[in-house]
Amino acid sequence: MAQRWTITYEVFRKKGSHPPHFDRFKLDVSPDEYVLDGIERIWAFHDRSLVFSHACHHSTCGACGMRVNGLEKLTCITPIHKVTRDGGVIRVEPLKNFPVISDLSVDMSLLYQRMEMVGQRSVLPIEEEGIPDGLLYGKEQKSGHLRLADCIECGLCMSACPISATTSSYLGPAALAGAHQHSIADPQAASLVDHADGVWRCHSAFECTSVCPSNVNPGWRIMDLRKRLISSRILGIFRRL
Amino acid sequence: MTAEKPHVVIIGAGFTGVATAHDLALRGCAVTVVDRGPIANGTSGRTHGLLHSGGRYAVNDQESAIECIDENLILRRIVPQVIEPNGGLFIALDDSDLEYGERFIEGSQACHIPIEQISPQEALRLEPNLNPKLLAAFTVPDATFDPLRLALSFAATAKSNGAHFRLFTEVEGFITDGQGNVTGVKVWDRAQDAHGEIHADMVVNATGAWAGQIAAMAGYEGLPITPTPGVMVAFDQRLTNRVINRLNVPGDGDIVLPQRMMVVVGTTSFQIEDLDYVPVIEDQVRQMLERGAELIPALKTANIRGAYMATRPLVGKGSSGRSLARTFKCFDHKETQGIEGLVTITGGKATTMRAMAEKTADIVCQKLGITAPCLTRDVPLLSYRQFYILPN
Amino acid sequence: MDEATNKPSASNWLTWFDARRRDVGYWAFALNRITALGLTFYLFLHLGVLSQLSQGPQAYDHFIAMMKQPLFTAGEVLVVSAGFIHGLNGIRIALNSLGVANAFQKALFIALMIVAILVSFIFAVRMFTA
Repeated sequence: MAQRWTITYEVFRKKGSHPPHFDRFKLDVSPDEYVLDGIERIWAFHDRSLVFSHACHHSTCGACGMRVNGLEKLTCITPIHKVTRDGGVIRVEPLKNFPVISDLSVDMSLLYQRMEMVGQRSVLPIEEEGIPDGLLYGKEQKSGHLRLADCIECGLCMSACPISATTSSYLGPAALAGAHQHSIADPQAASLVDHADGVWRCHSAFECTSVCPSNVNPGWRIMDLRKRLISSRILGIFRRL
Repeated sequence: MTAEKPHVVIIGAGFTGVATAHDLALRGCAVTVVDRGPIANGTSGRTHGLLHSGGRYAVNDQESAIECIDENLILRRIVPQVIEPNGGLFIALDDSDLEYGERFIEGSQACHIPIEQISPQEALRLEPNLNPKLLAAFTVPDATFDPLRLALSFAATAKSNGAHFRLFTEVEGFITDGQGNVTGVKVWDRAQDAHGEIHADMVVNATGAWAGQIAAMAGYEGLPITPTPGVMVAFDQRLTNRVINRLNVPGDGDIVLPQRMMVVVGTTSFQIEDLDYVPVIEDQVRQMLERGAELIPALKTANIRGAYMATRPLVGKGSSGRSLARTFKCFDHKETQGIEGLVTITGGKATTMRAMAEKTADIVCQKLGITAPCLTRDVPLLSYRQFYILPN
Repeated sequence: MDEATNKPSASNWLTWFDARRRDVGYWAFALNRITALGLTFYLFLHLGVLSQLSQGPQAYDHFIAMMKQPLFTAGEVLVVSAGFIHGLNGIRIALNSLGVANAFQKALFIALMIVAILVSFIFAVRMFTA
């Protein structure tokens, strides 16, 4: 497509302890370019002080998550035409619920710490990832192939979750989904999140599932964990009888 | 700078920078890594993640091929948590490919790359989405890795051994003593918007494609590096579990590899002037789709998930990117321009990052009078998440 | 940015009600909070109404006459509506929380809300024509 659009980027800026503000940049873009491409051009040609996080540019690293016009997006795979039209505005802000390092970059340490705590497996058998609605538990024939997990630890879900917005102690959808993934291999892992700030704090907004760019479906995983925790509790009662 | 350990500042937190930080930290240096962005925000982050078996270079560039197979085995051992270790295939689709196959067998043997010829039927059984018209196939020990997480694993381990990381911190110039020797770097902390200095006993320029620009800040204009970008296109279906290569001389769009729920097709090779932003060229994206579809026809029905450019640092100036050898070179600026305190490492490929770091660390340690041996072949790397868990 | 530090905080409670651009599930979440607040408010109102009984038949009759005005009837329709929305969505949430029907939680919500709207409409008709 040889079409060119004129877009205005409204970029959140924050340096040190100065109060934040928005800077506006007019760009000539192709509608098929990605939101991240525009941000990179702003840094390269307009403002070298712009701080933003990125690495792979193909949705495997999870570094470039931002809020685009109010909604969490992975900016490297979000085409401009999906978020605005010719002459429109793209408002870019850092993810919510993480401390801002500067401008569009946030400190995701908490997310990584929690993923480590729940033991989410970064590489696992391909049959054990992307499980649709509990169909698989040892039924598929193992191919012996491994693959990197669906979850790219991008933090979009934690930014979108309304509960994560109001309490920092809630583990959040990413960690809970990670615990679910771990519990496929080791059922004991479910008990790591069986507490008031774990699976039981979720209020079914399902926005995590909606914004996830990687098919993790944290909403479903949290509910599936609850089902299995309740089942094992009930079975436990019968076993003790 | 501590009185006991020599302080090394590494410019660049890409693969070369973090692997060198890891090596030097193990050998007893105090290390500070500075990068104007986050970890792997340059070329390293954008690699499609091919852990080379070396098969691609077994005919034309055997030095590189041997480096690759050696490092492939080491990385599989020390950092399996970021690798999809499912092997690869070289596929012949026409007579030219078949002819090349003979040289491929010889070359692989010469470079001790374990290959096995399998029948087309067997290849299709292993990978049902391959072009059914394939004429010959070889298995190779290729693999796929997660670019950022591989870098984070080295960085985390370095951090656990005392390395400091100052990200979003751009080097603006060098601090020199009266004789022009480098004694530190002047930095701009972009996050705080504050300027400062970091003093060092040695500075390592590990900025990859930007190595020439940084070396020029120290007064060295002639670094023989040709930044060579290429396109990568990611598709939204995992059409293969193995890396698929075209069995022929290295060309454009002859690699398709899996990564999570995607496949990535790469790449091309051309010249640019402006390193900091390389726009995606639509024709090249189309070319990747066409070439990739020769190997895996189903790509024609997959959707493009992302397309981007990555600029490789090729060592040695030349007119065609493809004819440059893919080796890496370490430049001691004492030799190039008579100044102490600065060493530049550039060139190379992701697969050989640890070896590049070893050679660089050897030179740095020799200059600093450190006799500790390199330990990185055998030390398993920490979980990449530790980078965010360990305090700075 | 609602807060200087962009970190989770109880002061971000307003985000629970901002479902703009969000998906169906977030709307359900916001709606459940709103109807819950509305029904709780109505509960206290209702207690206040009952206390009118202690004031004697004249005060009570006067109050009932006031309640028959269209504005108040509309309010009561809202209460019925809120009750059904909250109740039906609550059933969906209870099911989901036990890992049941997650595959079609969005469709289920929309279906239940259609039921709630229909029922509200029927109640509205009956209440306004009574």
